[in-house]
Amino acid sequence: MALNTLEFDLKLDEVTHSIDTPIHLGVVGSGDMEVLMEPKDLKGAVSVRIVTPVAGFDELWKRVVEKFVSETLLGDVHLEINDNNATPAVVLLRLRQGFAEATGE
Amino acid sequence: MPKWNDLQEQSFLESDARARAVGLVDEGTYTELAGPFDRFYSPHLEVLGEAVEFDDGIVTAVGKIGKTPVFVISQEGRFIGGSVGEVGGAKMVNTIRLAIEFHDKLVADYPDISDEEKPVVVISFETGGVRLHESNAGLLAHAEVMDQLQKARHKVPVITLIGSKVGCFGGMGFVAAATDAIVMSEFGRLGLTGPEVIEQEMGKEEFDSSDRALVFRTTGGRHKYIMGDCNVLVHNTIGAFREAVAKLAVLPVSEFEKMRRIGSPEAVERQLRAVALAAEMQPQDARDVWVKAGNPDPVALTDIPLDEFLADVKRLSV
Repeated sequence: MALNTLEFDLKLDEVTHSIDTPIHLGVVGSGDMEVLMEPKDLKGAVSVRIVTPVAGFDELWKRVVEKFVSETLLGDVHLEINDNNATPAVVLLRLRQGFAEATGE
Repeated sequence: MPKWNDLQEQSFLESDARARAVGLVDEGTYTELAGPFDRFYSPHLEVLGEAVEFDDGIVTAVGKIGKTPVFVISQEGRFIGGSVGEVGGAKMVNTIRLAIEFHDKLVADYPDISDEEKPVVVISFETGGVRLHESNAGLLAHAEVMDQLQKARHKVPVITLIGSKVGCFGGMGFVAAATDAIVMSEFGRLGLTGPEVIEQEMGKEEFDSSDRALVFRTTGGRHKYIMGDCNVLVHNTIGAFREAVAKLAVLPVSEFEKMRRIGSPEAVERQLRAVALAAEMQPQDARDVWVKAGNPDPVALTDIPLDEFLADVKRLSV
């Protein structure tokens, strides 16, 4: 019944991107989510915290975030997601939008 | 977030709470209060297993329009219908309180300060009222906002903006009616019991909430403008709302007394005359009242462009 909280770290062998300023993006509407991206000294790692009403998809969450981190080569960032039943495609879209806003790319 | 210049042209109806708040004040003056990075979210939703949002669906900020300090409250309809719970309500209450305290300090420190330099509060409503998940805490939040509105009287003008998808209904409909001035777009809707709830309680014969034309000519901006429930009717852009606020913000606070719907013996008399008129007329449709207000062709009023509407329309006086 309570909200499901996932916390994990990811670390790539090669990190080329970080962010300078914290970014907030998205609205927790139905099937949508919001994300905070904050610069943080994690020795190249990405720390992730996801709060979602959905249970049983922990592995899928990890794979989606892994895909995002490996395509952006992101490091030293703390990601925090409030989810309201967003599909994996929407999650990836919002993360990419957040990255684009944070890096101006 | 789009650039500030683009926000001015952006549809108010389609904008989220933060875009509205940023676009309403001058470029570069926006500072968010208790924003998402402060992580003030609802403890009640968490217990219930409902999704939470870092700003609890209410954006609070301070900025400037010209020389006027503007305290902005902006509600997000996509997060649980813009419902107001304990945390969001507390953010509203304390933003208004901050404006009042700031006003008092300004007036004490600078006795000859001009009207234009005194603060205003702007509330962009998009809500159905109380967040039922938080029952008593949500209701109490409404009462506390009302309390602050009363404390702001004769000091800090509180301006309502309505032009978002959800409209302004339920308990927050009462709150909006108790503010000093109401600015709407034609897509804004204002009421107490929302259309779906009326249908659910009283049946489709009483009110068919799937009839969009009926809903809009009973609760929409054009109707509210004719009735005097809204003071200013504007185009559907953030820039147009901002311009309306800019015009109001420079007025002395005494000017707002004339725009109010409640709160003085004259306003109460006017409301009672409106009730007496309704009892005498027994209107079957909003259009009956439009005719009574002096508009011979009420059907055309809903379809003509907004500028023509504003030029031609006769408003009800009781």
